[in-house]
Amino acid sequence: MNWAEIIVQALKDWDTSLIAYVPDISIDQVTRLIDDDPFFHLVSATREEEAIGIAVGAYAVGRNAAVFMQSSGFGNTLNAVASLCIPYRTPIPMFINMRGGPGEFNIAQVAMGRTTKPILDLLGLVHFTFDDDHRMGEILDGALKLCHAGRQPVALCLTRMLHGGKVA
Amino acid sequence: MLRFEATQLILKHAGNRPIVANLGPTTDELWHAQHRDRNFYTYGNMGLCSSLALGMAVSTSEQVISLDGDGSLLMNLGTIATIGREQPKNLIVVVWDNEMWDQTGHQQSHTALGTDLEQVAKSCGITHTATVIDLEELETVFRTALEGDGPWFIVAKTEQSEYMPVSPIEPEMTLYRFRNSFSS
Repeated sequence: MNWAEIIVQALKDWDTSLIAYVPDISIDQVTRLIDDDPFFHLVSATREEEAIGIAVGAYAVGRNAAVFMQSSGFGNTLNAVASLCIPYRTPIPMFINMRGGPGEFNIAQVAMGRTTKPILDLLGLVHFTFDDDHRMGEILDGALKLCHAGRQPVALCLTRMLHGGKVA
Repeated sequence: MLRFEATQLILKHAGNRPIVANLGPTTDELWHAQHRDRNFYTYGNMGLCSSLALGMAVSTSEQVISLDGDGSLLMNLGTIATIGREQPKNLIVVVWDNEMWDQTGHQQSHTALGTDLEQVAKSCGITHTATVIDLEELETVFRTALEGDGPWFIVAKTEQSEYMPVSPIEPEMTLYRFRNSFSS
């Protein structure tokens, strides 16, 4: 399995069938697989905090849900994560394409990309970074288990080293 | 119409259907009208009431009711487009439209100055829409919405009213009670 297939398998293993996202050229490799698979319902949100609301709504009626976004979009989710996911205790895995690292071509992506993990730390949320697919299935399975055990969001940070990234 | 009386009217017809309430007075009035496990009270999550209801509607076969507000929905108009895109037949959005940000000092909202949320919903592909100005109209439209397919988008014009005491509820318990009611 490649990294995108590993993510799809982990979502299935954790019966996570509602996926809310804002499109991104790199994670498109995953969301295209999800869109083609009848196991999933992929909801295209207009903004990342809306995706969080949709995912929490699904979880609230008993369906596991995850979100996909870019690190810039993570900036758009902050009040939703802080005022909804954390106080209500909802285990929403957040798959984040990390911009602003090695190979970045766009200055506007740098600050949000580089502050994503410090912000997650300030919120007290656990995050895992994937630079390659070595033991990725094992780590992802453990991350999703932790997410549900703690009933808090867990961030899965996907770097350009993993997925190839956007090339200017 | 008074929002509290309109909330009581919604509850009278809602049966055991899940209801998501917008933050602040809408949540407080829902609690005072009738506390029930199927009430999802929101607090600081501005603008996300109908997004939560949308996530529920695409994940359960039951009808889901969103009690949103004009100010909150204006923060997240995109979710109306997502509802139009998803077309969940089991979603009923009711917008309490008092044409102001009441809690922050009664500042006029955009709906006081021309923004027509029903027209926004229509232009997003939601075909079942209405704007109602009194309890009788609301009751007629809401009962119609309950009996057929949606999504429905109902703008209910409300008056300014005194606040009720803040409801004594905890987010974690709200989620726990609400979610457990779907586990059977």
